[in-house]
Amino acid sequence: MKILYFAKIKEIIGKNEDSINIDEQTTVEDIVEKLKLIDESYKLAFKDLKNVKCSVNCNYINSFQTKVKNNDELAFFPPVTGG
Amino acid sequence: MKIIFQTEKINVEETLENFTSQNDNSGAVISFLGKVRPSNNKKKIKSMDIEIYEEMALYQTKIAINNLLKKFQIHDYLIMHRYGNLKPGEIIIFVIVASEHRKEGFIFIQDILLYFKKKITFWKKENYAQYSRWLNSQN
Repeated sequence: MKILYFAKIKEIIGKNEDSINIDEQTTVEDIVEKLKLIDESYKLAFKDLKNVKCSVNCNYINSFQTKVKNNDELAFFPPVTGG
Repeated sequence: MKIIFQTEKINVEETLENFTSQNDNSGAVISFLGKVRPSNNKKKIKSMDIEIYEEMALYQTKIAINNLLKKFQIHDYLIMHRYGNLKPGEIIIFVIVASEHRKEGFIFIQDILLYFKKKITFWKKENYAQYSRWLNSQN
């Protein structure tokens, strides 16, 4: 699965993307927990999930309990500030 | 009917002239442009970095536009949003809309700008002399 990071989250983690393999029935929350085990920067990036937005295949998700598949493109980012 | 995300500066006069001449049958052509401010809370801004998740920004903008087109009689629109490094005074976003009457055009622009503030995947970082700061969504 491709995972993209943007803005402040990208800066904290220090990279644009990761690629991981996931099992069936994995939720976004499971992935966040898995990522937090990588190192302290991930822990910091996902410390306050109120300020973390997530999309699956360019669609916003309403809940981190959303299930995802290996061929989905997941993205994590702060609330947007365009316009 | 176009959505353009680009790093290059926006040529307002030429773009507006071309758009207007392509929409001879519209009674109203309304435009809005948003610029990089020279300061924020009295702190002088040296430049602004704008980051984009382009694939999602395009996808979400199309959803927003399709919703708005169901509500309003719009003849044509052009939305341009820059990303990359911008200096104070440079244009961030330029929106033009052509419609029969002005009312639909004004509301369309207002609504599309709200979408950009809430949903479209751009992020702004202001660079000051000593440090940089990502803007929060309420800024």
